[in-house]
Order: sequence, then structure tokens, then C-alpha cells
Amino acid sequence: MHELSDKPERISFAAYLELLMNLTRREVKGRYSQSLFGAGWAVAQPLAMMAVFTLVFSRLGQMPSGGAPYPLFAFAALVPWFFFSNSVTSGTMSLVTYRNIVTKTYFPREIVPLAQVASRLVDLAATSSLFAVLLVYYGAGGGRWMLLTPLFVLLLIVFTLGVTLATSAMNVFYRDVSPVVQISLQLWLFLTPVAYPLSAVPERYRAFFLLNPLTGVVEGLRAVLVFGRAPDWGVVGISAALIAAVFAGAFVLFKSTDKYFADVI
Amino acid sequence: MSTSIQLDHVSKRYRTGRSRTVVDLVASSVDGWRGRSQDVHSATRGRIGSIIHALNDVSFSVPQGAGLGIIGRNGAGKTTLLKLISRVTWPTSGKVRVAGHVVSLIELGAGFHPELTGRENVYLGAGLFGLTRKEIDRRFDDIVQFADVERLIDTPMKRYSSGLYARLGFAVAIHSRPDIVLVDEVLSVGDAAFRRRALEALRGLIADGKTVLFISHDMWNVRRLCSQILWMDEGAVRAHGPAGDIAERYMNEVNLQALANQETALQSHRGGTGEVRFDTVELVNQTGAPATTFAIDDSLIVRGTYSAAKAVERPVFQVAIVDVDTGVIVTTASSVQGNVPATVQGSGTIEIRFGRLPLRPRQYVLRLSITDAHQLGSYDQVVAGPRFAVTGQGGGVDSLADEQDGLVSVPFDVYHS
Repeated sequence: MHELSDKPERISFAAYLELLMNLTRREVKGRYSQSLFGAGWAVAQPLAMMAVFTLVFSRLGQMPSGGAPYPLFAFAALVPWFFFSNSVTSGTMSLVTYRNIVTKTYFPREIVPLAQVASRLVDLAATSSLFAVLLVYYGAGGGRWMLLTPLFVLLLIVFTLGVTLATSAMNVFYRDVSPVVQISLQLWLFLTPVAYPLSAVPERYRAFFLLNPLTGVVEGLRAVLVFGRAPDWGVVGISAALIAAVFAGAFVLFKSTDKYFADVI
Repeated sequence: MSTSIQLDHVSKRYRTGRSRTVVDLVASSVDGWRGRSQDVHSATRGRIGSIIHALNDVSFSVPQGAGLGIIGRNGAGKTTLLKLISRVTWPTSGKVRVAGHVVSLIELGAGFHPELTGRENVYLGAGLFGLTRKEIDRRFDDIVQFADVERLIDTPMKRYSSGLYARLGFAVAIHSRPDIVLVDEVLSVGDAAFRRRALEALRGLIADGKTVLFISHDMWNVRRLCSQILWMDEGAVRAHGPAGDIAERYMNEVNLQALANQETALQSHRGGTGEVRFDTVELVNQTGAPATTFAIDDSLIVRGTYSAAKAVERPVFQVAIVDVDTGVIVTTASSVQGNVPATVQGSGTIEIRFGRLPLRPRQYVLRLSITDAHQLGSYDQVVAGPRFAVTGQGGGVDSLADEQDGLVSVPFDVYHS
């Protein structure tokens, strides 16, 4: 028979995955049901931004793109960027949005923000497919370095998870977190080498850019996919280390505060 | 028998009120510098809201396979108790220990999403209770059958009625292989047939050795399901013992409080055109004294004073005894019986006398009205008039009735041949 325990109930890994899948499905369905274009909207967002960046940075600003077609250059970075940005935006609000189940049933709380990030993988798949089409259209890409793509996608996902875990937990206690995240994301886009290459950043600001883990992800993806060359392993190494630290810190923060969620949410 | 739930000196405190904003923080520290921290206004600015002691040093244990009813007024800490046991929230101090898988029905179908179909929501809901896909697959047919939603299972749940929504929520919960089931006042949503089935299912769980904690204001259901009752009052355990005794004590107190607090004036819920109105209504017992509690088969006199500004022809005075849950039980009208004059003007007194009150022990309310001769238009309507309680003889389990038992006691004999 069961022993008395004052620890939270453990659920099996299979049950954990099942719940994550179902919450993800709920999220995706909720987002795209009764919408004519469905996941098409996920593609429209980076596409529109690509057009604006091309006009402003490339045509008006003469921004270098390392020899690649500028639209492709920009899109390669906008795909991971919007995955990150959209995940963090909805993830930050997720525990509050799911207040109803958080205050009424017990389950591992991190599944809620995890499902938000997982649901954005659908968008990521859609935008990546469009990116593949663009690659073929511009006749770019190819080469063995493309095989490194999963590494950068993994780094991207882990970093996104880390940030989302932290912001969603903090937002339970202070709703100010959500607007702060909004503003930060707007600035962050321009402080990440999305519209421009890292090489265009003056040497004395480089160190600051390297503190941004997305720099390694974006630059790395562009190197292996658009330019078909090896990434700058130094940059990637710094980013990977930062990402691991952010994720670990965020996870600890989340798990040490989650028993208070239902009280303050 | 092993212990299923054990609470030792559990307290839970919440901070209430709105949370502090930056403005509040700055204001209170500015006040602090100026040495005004003694100021009441400043003190509240610095510490908005106060601490609520939702539970205070609560200890009890529940053996495995028991049904425990949890009763008490709103705000007594009943739901907090369930949330602590289900791990939704954690005690401020003390220890909450449970054995096995807890399934809480604090709200039926809380995890459901209206855009998803019933089928998808079954998987979502059961997943929230910790089941794997395989486990849900195996129970799926039982769940659908219990909820009786075969026809709509592939329809988005936004098309479901609220009763159906609740039914599916309940079905998912009890099929999620619980060791402990926490039920919080959720059976009030469905129809009577579902309520009966739900209670039946909960009883089955208890028979199978599962532990059920059941919050309800319906003493009848609590007593049918639970052998023990925990009476919560202001965050503490008021009493814990055999269901019949505790329910009896609780209902007596609730009835007495309700009767003591009722307004003698008849201001609320008035309708009618107002040519004739009741001024006062009082209940009188057989000794001629005003009373609010009566024993079965006592006599009851409803004495009303009225006034009519102008002459009113052939008014009909009506008094009905109403059961709050089920409706009208008895109606009387002065047109059927009595000596009301053809025209009334000024003030007068009317008495309706029930020689014998064959009502089961329960709380009742009077509905009064004065209508025209054809009982088409009404001069006055008192929808919720004075209340009275019928009390049982002696106490014990059978002293509280439910609509299931019927509300009227009629003498009968039984013959067997």
C-alpha cells in the first residue's frame, strides 16, 4: 500500500510527456482554430519583418550581408528570433493564463511554460520550411556544415525554455514582468545581430554582444545555413555556456518558487 | 487499517488585499523618512492588505477507505484544506501527509479547453491527473459511458451544456485511478439523475477502499456518503466525529442562526400594486407565543397584519409553505376558507392556522400574497417571508429530511400477508 508522504506526487515520465503533448495541442488548437490562415500567420510575421529590414537596412542603410542576398541573410536570423520572442511573450503570461488549472489541480507546474515553447515549434517548422524554400530560390546553402543545424536549434530551444521558465515564474508574483519583457524583446531584436552581421559591430562593443546568448545562435545558424561555412566556435562556445547557466538558474528559480504559485496567482 | 491522510498542526496564512505598487512603496518610505510611520494612513500604505489565517493548527487523520464529509460556513477553510491535501498549495506551518494518488474535483473540467473535442479533453483532463496515454486508452470507453456523451464525443466542448461539461469532468476524475478523491461542492451543477450516479460512483470508490473527502452544504448527501464529518469553523476544527451526530449539531446551529438573523420587517422581495399590503407577519405556536422552530405535528399560526389605504373588494390572502430546494409544498387561500369581509379598508389582522404540521424536519420559508378576487392581479407579494424550522424528535440520523425522503409525513400502516 502507499506510504504517507509530504512530498509532491511523482508522475511517470510517460504521463509527463502525455500531459506536455496535450497542453501543447490545446495551445496550438486554441491559437489557430477559427482562423482562416492558421499557422500561415506564423510565417507572415518574419516575412513582413524581412521585407521591412530589406528596405530599411539593405536599401536605405547599405547594411553589409557578407555577400549573401540580404533577404535570405535577414530571414535566417528572423526565424529563430521570432521563435524565441513569441515563446517568451506567451510563455511569460502562461501561468497566469492557466490560473484555472494551476489553482485547482496539482501537476508539475513547469509543464505550462514548456507547452508554450513546444507549441511555438509548430510555428518554427512553418517558418523553417519557408526558409528552405528561400535557400533553394537563392541557390544558397548546401554543404556539410548544414549538419550542425540541430545543434543551434537545440541551443535556441534550451535558451528559450530557460528565459520562459524564469519570466513565467516571476510574472506570477509581479505582473510588471510582462510589460518589461515586451519592451526588452523590442530592444533585444536590435541588439542581436539579426538585421546586421556581428562583424559590422565595432570592436569595442563586441564583448557586450557576446553576452547575448542569441548572438552565437543567430550567427551560427547563418554561418552553417546561408554561408555554408564553419561557425565561429569561440562565439558559439560562449553562448552555449551562457545558455546552460541561464537554463540551470531559471530551472532552480522556477522549482523553488512553484509551491507558492497557487497562493499568489 | 492504514492512514490515508494525516494533517499535523497545519496552519495556512494568506496575504489579502491588492499587492503593493511602486507608488505605495515609495510613499511609505518617504513617510518613513519624515518620521510619520506612526500615521495610520502611512502604515496601511506600506502594508496593504492583512494576513488571513485560512487554517489554524488543524490536525486530523483519515483512514484509508473512509468517506469524510467536510462541512462549515463559507470561508471556514474547507477548500483550503482540499488544496493542501491535493498539493495545489502548501502549509505555512505543520505537515500534510497523504498516501497515494490524489485526484481533486475542486472544479469539474477545470483543465478542459472549449475549442477541443470531448475526446481530446478526456486525454487532456486525465493527463492533468497524471495518467499516461495507454492508461487513458484503457479507460476511455468507461469514461464516455459514465458521462453519457457518446454522441458528442467528437464535438468541440464549447457546444456542450454546462451539465454535460461537468459530467465529463467528473467521469474523467473518478476514472483517473485515484487513491484519494477530493470533492468540493461540485455535484450541484448536474441534474438529479447525474447527482445520484455521481454519489453512487463515489460510494463505489469508498467500497473499493478509496478515500473520499466530500465538501458539501447538503447534509443529506454528506450523510449518505460519509461515515465521519469534519466540521470546520473559522479555520479550525470545530468537531470531528460520526456523521449523524455532527450533522445534527451543525444543522441545529445553522437553523438557529438563520432564524435569529431573519428580519422581522417584510421589506425585501416585495411585489404587487400596493393597494393592500402586509405590515407584519409573525409565526405563533400552539401556546400562542411567537416561535421559529416547530416539532413535527405541532400547530402553526401565521398571523399577518395588513393595511389598505382605499377600500378593496374581496381581496384573497394567500400563504404558501415553500421548501427552498424543491418549491411549494402547501398553499392556502382565504377564498377557499374563512370569513374575510367583502370589502376591506384600513388595517386588519388575518390568521391562517395549520392545526397540524406534518412536515419533515427541515427549514421552510413562507410566501405570502394578497391578490384580487380572481387571483389575477396581486396587491402584495412577499416572496421570501419569515422562515421557520421543523425539528426532529430526539436527534440522530433521521432528523434531517431531504427531498428524496419526501417532505410531508403522512401516517401509514404496513400489512403483510
